[in-house]
Amino acid sequence: MAANNGSDKGTRNLVIGMVVFIVAVGIIFSFISNRASSNFAIPAAVSEADGYGIVLNPTATPTIDVWVDYQCPACRTFELLHGGYLSEVIAQKKAKVVFHPLTFIGAESIIAANAAACAADENKFVDMNLALFQNQGGSENSGRWQGDTMLAIGESIGIKSDSFKQCVREGNYVKWTRNVTEASASKNVNSTPTIRINGKDLDRNTEYGDPVKFKAALAAGGVK
Amino acid sequence: MADKFRVAQPWLTLLARLILGAVLLVAGALKVPNLPKSAMAVRAYEMLPIPIANFLGYTLPWIEIGLGLLLIVGVTVKISGALGALTMLAFIIAIAQAWARGLSIDCGCFGGGGTIDPEDTKYLSEIIRDIGLMALGIFLYLYPKGRFAIEK
Repeated sequence: MAANNGSDKGTRNLVIGMVVFIVAVGIIFSFISNRASSNFAIPAAVSEADGYGIVLNPTATPTIDVWVDYQCPACRTFELLHGGYLSEVIAQKKAKVVFHPLTFIGAESIIAANAAACAADENKFVDMNLALFQNQGGSENSGRWQGDTMLAIGESIGIKSDSFKQCVREGNYVKWTRNVTEASASKNVNSTPTIRINGKDLDRNTEYGDPVKFKAALAAGGVK
Repeated sequence: MADKFRVAQPWLTLLARLILGAVLLVAGALKVPNLPKSAMAVRAYEMLPIPIANFLGYTLPWIEIGLGLLLIVGVTVKISGALGALTMLAFIIAIAQAWARGLSIDCGCFGGGGTIDPEDTKYLSEIIRDIGLMALGIFLYLYPKGRFAIEK
């Protein structure tokens, strides 16, 4: 035993050193790889001051913020329940509405968020937003949503331009999604969907699932 | 009785190391691919200032991996067991305060996390599980010497 002590200690210290190394490299790499980029393209409708969200009716008041993930089933439910009313609010310029597409669910959320931003450049964001949710599949990141799927969805709502095709294919706004995520983190957004009016959360337990209460909550926030 | 425990203890220590170590390793590894989500899970507890919660969301998964590795190979078992137990204690306090304040969150223990529907919360089972894991950590602090460890 005694003769072994030296090498035991050496092994012990080596193992501790390696584990500490793994943890340290992991942490450093994590911060670097998830850091928002400072060199990236943003859609014309995006405003840094609004958390890099896609802004509709920039001069209207009050402000409604909507955080969604295109793969999130609860967001689809929300869109199908309240999307119609929200697009009415947008069309009649009754409020400034800011959409923040989050991408926590993964690769296909990024593909969809990029396509939505490309559609914003064609002034078709609201239609694309609805079309993406209508097209949502049963399982997440199943491989169903690719560039071609996005082009087909875009075509179904009348976007046929080459600029849209190029934007989707080249993922022009993929880097921007990281900034949306980082901005949402600093605004304490902890779930999708999250809806705020003038920065105040709607009540998740009552106002999210009920069109009457939802309208009432927006009205209370100043949507006339 | 005491004799029986003396025989069984090194094996119990091994078992405790493998269970607590594997749970920590898996919990950390599941979070690493989606660290922004992990940060969201920490924020949802609404205990810490947002920048600190975000920092913890990025670092905690790696610390869990580190502790898990140390416990599995059997190095610094006494300290790692104590740290594991303290981590679990922190989780129990965090979950209990979320429950008491009426927040509806997923614990985000194995990825996931964030605000969820009130009927989907499972605070009691999460707390019971973490109490069990904390007990393993305490056992390892008290009886760090076990079978198949690098550190003799």
